[in-house]
Amino acid sequence: MERLSGYTRISTRARLLAIAVAAGGMLAAPPVSAADEVNQERLLNVDKEPGNWLHHHQNYSAHRFSSLKEINRDSVKNLKVAWTMHLGGIEGGGIWSHGGLEGTPIAENGFLYVTDGWGSVYKIDAHGGRGVLVWKMDPKTDRDWAGAVACCGVDNRGVALWGDLVISHTLDGRLIATNKETGQVAWQRTVADPDKGEVITGAPLIVKNMAITGVAGAEYGIRGWIAATDLTTQKEVWRTHTIPGKGEPGSDTWKDSNNAAAAGGGSTWVTGTYDPATDTIIWGTGNPGPDWDNAYRPGDNLYTDSSLALDATTGKIKWHYQHTPNDPYDYDSVAENVLVDIPGPSGPRKLALEADRNGFAYAIDRTTGKFVWGLPFVKKVTWTKGLDAETGKPIEYDPNKAVQTYIAAVTPSRTNMETDICPGNMGGKNWPPTAYNPDLKLWYIPVIESCNRIKVEVMTPDKLKPREFWTGGGPSQPFTITGSVTAIDVTTGKIAGKMETPFPNLGGILATPDLVFTGQPSGEVMALDAKSLQKLWEFNTGGGVNAPPMTFTVDGKQYVAILVGLGGAWDKWFIDSTPELKKIQPGSMLYVFAL
Amino acid sequence: MKLNAFPTAASMLVVSIVALNCSMPATAYGQSAQAPPSDPTNAGKAVFSKANCVGCHKWHGHGGGGYGGDALSLRKTELTRDQIIETVGCGRPATGMPFFMRGAYDEVKCHGMNRQDAGTQMPPEGGTFLRPKDIEAVADYVIAHIKGAGEPTYAECVAFFASASRVCDVYKTQGQKPEDAVANTGKNQ
Repeated sequence: MERLSGYTRISTRARLLAIAVAAGGMLAAPPVSAADEVNQERLLNVDKEPGNWLHHHQNYSAHRFSSLKEINRDSVKNLKVAWTMHLGGIEGGGIWSHGGLEGTPIAENGFLYVTDGWGSVYKIDAHGGRGVLVWKMDPKTDRDWAGAVACCGVDNRGVALWGDLVISHTLDGRLIATNKETGQVAWQRTVADPDKGEVITGAPLIVKNMAITGVAGAEYGIRGWIAATDLTTQKEVWRTHTIPGKGEPGSDTWKDSNNAAAAGGGSTWVTGTYDPATDTIIWGTGNPGPDWDNAYRPGDNLYTDSSLALDATTGKIKWHYQHTPNDPYDYDSVAENVLVDIPGPSGPRKLALEADRNGFAYAIDRTTGKFVWGLPFVKKVTWTKGLDAETGKPIEYDPNKAVQTYIAAVTPSRTNMETDICPGNMGGKNWPPTAYNPDLKLWYIPVIESCNRIKVEVMTPDKLKPREFWTGGGPSQPFTITGSVTAIDVTTGKIAGKMETPFPNLGGILATPDLVFTGQPSGEVMALDAKSLQKLWEFNTGGGVNAPPMTFTVDGKQYVAILVGLGGAWDKWFIDSTPELKKIQPGSMLYVFAL
Repeated sequence: MKLNAFPTAASMLVVSIVALNCSMPATAYGQSAQAPPSDPTNAGKAVFSKANCVGCHKWHGHGGGGYGGDALSLRKTELTRDQIIETVGCGRPATGMPFFMRGAYDEVKCHGMNRQDAGTQMPPEGGTFLRPKDIEAVADYVIAHIKGAGEPTYAECVAFFASASRVCDVYKTQGQKPEDAVANTGKNQ
């Protein structure tokens, strides 16, 4: 039982299970069937095991689409709560009064693996129509250290599986491998450094025995990176900075004399995607810093606000596509790039889709990195008149200008120190993931329909301090913010539907053959018709939905699971735009639904 | 009624809270071994954490621009003790600084205004209400430890955090840094 010491809230059944495992261990190695070992073959072929959800984004292409259809357009009206489980991790730390839940559960062979905001991992046995905690791994995150430099909440978006290990991150910068059977930490490695303002909130992406890690901290003067750790040797394989070093290609897009690039941002805190056909990782990058004083960092500021394609084996950059050069708005492009193949005149068109904070949805040719189409997916865009049809750059973008002003009347700048922008700086879409239905070729975006007010602070090098905000101003919320689920027909690049919601979509989306699942920070989980976006089912969880739904089967029965617990940036920084949400209490709960 | 006329009874309460503080183990307030247990502003330090002043002004009180806008620096503040008490109790109209006094703008006018007068200038309500003696205590703490201080130091940080957290490492001078405080990031292994 020693291996379980320290886990005080463990169920009786789990204790019995542990005793059985321990007993088995005395006689022989614990029984681990090959089917439970996650390998590259399984990660590449998740469609062969539709009852499991093995990737953070469901598959390597980030479709978040499940072919399961026991719960469908006709039956969804009978969907009800099957079981729930209270989790922990709600405690505060640093500048945060409480944690929240933003994770996507992973499901394998009837077991769920979920995280709370401080990075504790819970293995839950979902057999028999109920949930029983098998083990909890508490990484003992250094809360004050990490929480003081987490710009946007005490968050952890989930785990990945590899071999007999559960791979996870902690806010204080660690990559942790936990034994899947016992819940014991097998090994851990420091990847990010909160002393530099770096924290980790994203789930790892597993590619060929490597864990790929992204970092947050562009509000604290970091120089962003994506790093690969070998899961056998536990050594770093590569680390690619998202901002070039002196003399490297792209370094000439930082034209200042302040060495702004060294603290130039370019975070990577949303899990990326992988195209095995070309061995390419595609990953979004965040805003440049300081966020709102773009005159501090003249130039295009590569590779901030970009989609980056990396050679998965070496980490070398293959191509980049930048959405908002010399960004003065905090319009990250950190979102997942959804990999989609659609028929074209000369064979399948291989696209990478990204719904950007700047309010535009983009399709990029993922072989060449060239722009294919783009369109606004929010109702209101004020910072640009639109995208150039050839290049996809904002029409007002002038490559000869060191400091971009776009539509100058609304753009934050040293001569426009207080101004309103639409979308607001949380963007038209933030981290909550999109979903793609490959049958209907519809791509569903969780939208924040917003404007907000930006106040600029002129930055000087002496204001750059370790672990202190490096934003060049700040937002306020004089306007009501709402939301929508917006569907885009990927074959045409046109909006196919918009279902408006009273609150912003802070959770993300799950697609099934004829349904779309999503939630609201006011508590509702809902199912929509995949074509009409008409609401077919709704349940109020009584908490704030801040995480994406997913689906899985146990013993042939389909379930939908979602974490509920409002945290993150919204209820600290943006709550004034949704005053009704002040009523939502912090919480930490897993809901599982079934027919 | 303006808050600077906080009942004098409150000041007497401060005396009693100090006495209370001295008679109890320092750990009752979550203080570190490094903090002098007899520091009369320990109660105020506890309020500074409990009321989440740290959420915007940070542990060091320097505040600063960021996602929440600009929390003013309490290290650079020129407010007097009474003005700090008024600001904590009533908040700052038209800013994000919340009010922490129960009944502010309702039973008690703040800055000469009730809720209706304040209208859109109404500051947000604090996450917790503080009793008058707590407000005085936190003002005393700010005056004694934050107002007028320069850049945050390692000693100050250690005095604030009674924990084994690495939160203070960044304030160490080169001579104070142990080898293990340097993370192995940024280099290929």
